[in-house]
Amino acid sequence: MSPAGASREGFARRLQVAFIVTALGFGAIAGCYWYLQIVRGGYYFQLSENNRLRSVAIPAARGVIYDRHGSVIAENEPSYSLFLYRRETKNLQASLDAAISLLQLDREDVEKRVARYRTYFDFVPIDLADNLTLPEVARIESHLPEHPEFAVGVGQKRLYPMGNLATQSLGYLAEASSRQIAAAPDRYHPGMLVGQRGIESSYQDILAGRDGERRIIVNSFGHEISEESREDPLPGRNLTLTIDDRLQRVAEIYFQGHAGAAVAMDPKTGQILAISSSPSYDPNIFSGRISPDEWRKIINDPLRPLQNRAIQNVYSPGSTFKVFEAAGALADDVVTPATKIFCPGEATFYGRPFRCHKRGGHGWEDLRHAIRDSCDVYFYTVGKELGIERIGQIARAFGFGSPTGVDLPDEKSGLVPSPQWSLLARHSRWYPSETISVAIGQGPLLVSTLQMARALAGLVEGGLLPRPHLFFSAEDPATRTHYIYQEKPRRNISLMPDIVNAVKDGMWAVVNDPHGTAYNARIPGLDFCGKTGSVQVVTQKNTSQEALLPYNKRDHAWFIGFAPKDDPKIVVAVFVEHGQHGSSAAAPLARDLVKAFFGMPVPELEPPPPAAPPGLLAQGSR
Amino acid sequence: MSAVFQRRRRPDMAFLLPLLALLLVGLMLVSSSTLGGVRGDLVARQALAMAIGLLALFALFALDYRFLLKFSFVIYLVSLLPLAYLLLFGRVIAHVRSWIRVGSFQFQPAEFARIATAMLVAYLFETEQEQRLHGRGLARLLVIVLVPFGMVALQPDLGEALTFLPLIAAGMFFGRADRKYWITIFAILAVTGAAGWFLLRGYQKQRIETFLHPAADVSGTGYQLQQSKIAVGSGQLFGKGYRRGTQSQLRFLPVRHTDFIFAVLAEEWGFLGVLIVLSLYAAVVLRGLWMAGHARDRGGTFLVLGLISCFGFSAIVNTGMMIGIFPTTGIPLPLLSYGGSAVVATLMAMGLILSVEARRFANA
Repeated sequence: MSPAGASREGFARRLQVAFIVTALGFGAIAGCYWYLQIVRGGYYFQLSENNRLRSVAIPAARGVIYDRHGSVIAENEPSYSLFLYRRETKNLQASLDAAISLLQLDREDVEKRVARYRTYFDFVPIDLADNLTLPEVARIESHLPEHPEFAVGVGQKRLYPMGNLATQSLGYLAEASSRQIAAAPDRYHPGMLVGQRGIESSYQDILAGRDGERRIIVNSFGHEISEESREDPLPGRNLTLTIDDRLQRVAEIYFQGHAGAAVAMDPKTGQILAISSSPSYDPNIFSGRISPDEWRKIINDPLRPLQNRAIQNVYSPGSTFKVFEAAGALADDVVTPATKIFCPGEATFYGRPFRCHKRGGHGWEDLRHAIRDSCDVYFYTVGKELGIERIGQIARAFGFGSPTGVDLPDEKSGLVPSPQWSLLARHSRWYPSETISVAIGQGPLLVSTLQMARALAGLVEGGLLPRPHLFFSAEDPATRTHYIYQEKPRRNISLMPDIVNAVKDGMWAVVNDPHGTAYNARIPGLDFCGKTGSVQVVTQKNTSQEALLPYNKRDHAWFIGFAPKDDPKIVVAVFVEHGQHGSSAAAPLARDLVKAFFGMPVPELEPPPPAAPPGLLAQGSR
Repeated sequence: MSAVFQRRRRPDMAFLLPLLALLLVGLMLVSSSTLGGVRGDLVARQALAMAIGLLALFALFALDYRFLLKFSFVIYLVSLLPLAYLLLFGRVIAHVRSWIRVGSFQFQPAEFARIATAMLVAYLFETEQEQRLHGRGLARLLVIVLVPFGMVALQPDLGEALTFLPLIAAGMFFGRADRKYWITIFAILAVTGAAGWFLLRGYQKQRIETFLHPAADVSGTGYQLQQSKIAVGSGQLFGKGYRRGTQSQLRFLPVRHTDFIFAVLAEEWGFLGVLIVLSLYAAVVLRGLWMAGHARDRGGTFLVLGLISCFGFSAIVNTGMMIGIFPTTGIPLPLLSYGGSAVVATLMAMGLILSVEARRFANA
């Protein structure tokens, strides 16, 4: 079947031609390479040596953060950094030495920065030092002829013009953690400043934008010859928060020298008007890069200023819990508003005596007076009737024991105890007497200040619990596109209006009845309502000697309130660590927040006595 | 006829060894040219493709090509299906629709269609026992090759489409087509070429213009060529050393791990490396031609000729493209360029050639 005769001969000749063509073809290619690599090799080698490609980052402007009236809370200011192009240095160590002596840099820090870029292309510059002063910039510029591998880059650093305002909820910028880089390697790289904690973290993607990059060819003096490629940065979006800086400032000033948390919120929408946590710190120390010493100082502070006490510290609610328990008891028909319970000053449950905070007793108390007087015996009795299971259900209905879903990271859930929880977590059974403690908000029931504000909003709104949030709107500065917060449907636990009104009546009396526990916090001309609370830090003590106790053994103080009584526009929750009494320590701040909200003048704020000795550990946080 | 599979055959070592050497060089170059990049798994992917390709090579080597040629028409039609699919539904990656995505892998059906086309061409010569190719036979040859050529060119992947044309050239040359046909075809090419110029996509036109006037723009399309010439030239005799090429490591060279991988070799391994690799290619092609001359039948002869001429064509055009002898057409360098489909398909083609060689004696 193979080709035969003349055809075969002709084929063989053609095959020979193919052999020759192949050999010549590859030979010709080899010849061209010889010409390029051997004859002109020196010329091209020179060209390749002068070919200096640099990558220059064009930082994206991070979004500005405003309060609800447009006051700037966080913005950017230019900052200068020293960059080193590895490929353009003959001796990396000599370049580093030069930079260290020029700017008095910390050698350990510099070497750490260099190590970070080990796996990166060498036309990507190493960021050696940040926040250079203008004289430092001039010093580098004057040494550029000897050190063309250096370059000064303009970047941005975060500026918080109001200082410590909603600090923990705002968060700060710091170098991306290895966890963050691992989660999004295409967006984060080592050394990049990324939002940490707070709003800066939860809205990192909205605020950050995307850095651009220029790839330029430079000559041997480091001067740009041409631009090879350019990717423009995408600016971050500006963020408007629900925060009202006037209310926020009232809280910050009040908390000077004290530990605690406060939340003011719109009960209908869940918009957080103020969220304060004390002690705090100046977020500007994080701008640029924080030094290890400063960092250590902050994290070793026993009062933990980084902690957002409004969402991350949970405490027993104390007597403030009574209003939620009252609503539950009314719904269950355990009591009616008219039901009267006799308070002799002490009562025995399960073979143990329980005292009312008023030694002589309150006598016959109905619901309104029991709330006004914060009568313990009344609520012991109600709590015993409800039982721990039902108390737990009521607490959970008001949102305790689970996160509020606020747009801040690392929110704590708190704890609503139950017999099952006791067995699982404590390996001991639930003692009925503990139910009596929980009935007045003591014991293992733990809530955050924000949960408290939300629960109260739910109560005064007839059972509609809003989702608290700080995001108000965002705007893309390039396209002017506006993004508005999408209101989440409120959780509905359906409280009948008569129940709500009965509890509100009691809370009105707390503030406005001369016998109320917070009569000192009343606001003339406004139906401000509320409930005080205190949390026992040390049991078995003589309360009359409270002020003589050491700071960390004093009771914590709570106050929750709303105004006006009909159709409330604001709810507040205030917690003061070791503040002793809700009425004296917490209620004045709640009152001032409400006054500020309604545009009333807030008198010169007097910090609640007595001030906390500095450096003492707060104990109530669990 | 003997059984389809036969045991105890040895592949032709003079052909196989240079192929294996090229694979090794390819792996090293892909590793060097993707150094420090974010896609560090490219070397592993390429090694996997090579392993799959070698398995396919030995499978086809063991299989009797005559058996395959009988079904070549069906294989040809099946190989056109994904091309048709791409034209209708393909996703555009880097200007063209030439990739089909399967899970996290993509494959380029044109690479496999070329083998099927070569098989059908071989079957044509096996059945058309004319002394000189003309008339009907030539028409069939043209249709068989130009259909997939057209489908790939419409993707539009002109470089990939061009790699089908050696099948026509080899068929006409070794089929001893009359001179008048060559003249006719060149005339048609000239006319369609002129017409096609107006139809070419912008980026293709730019590439060809750059080829014609390389100095005209140094930073645009010519940038690529300029940078690759600097990379090649600066390699000089001994090169800058493995993984030490400044041009390629500095990322002046775009697509350095695919189309421009030979420039990385030239820069890092110098003229000596270029000579060695060019010799390996020449050895494969020359040994292939020798094997074509010793095949037992016309089908085998033309199968080897078609496949080896595509191989040689790609090698010469790609290495020439690097230094501006040919326009930048996007033809990868066989076995060296990164790309799983190309490596697997090339090794499959080589397996078919080895299968022909192993059965060159009538009693085999």
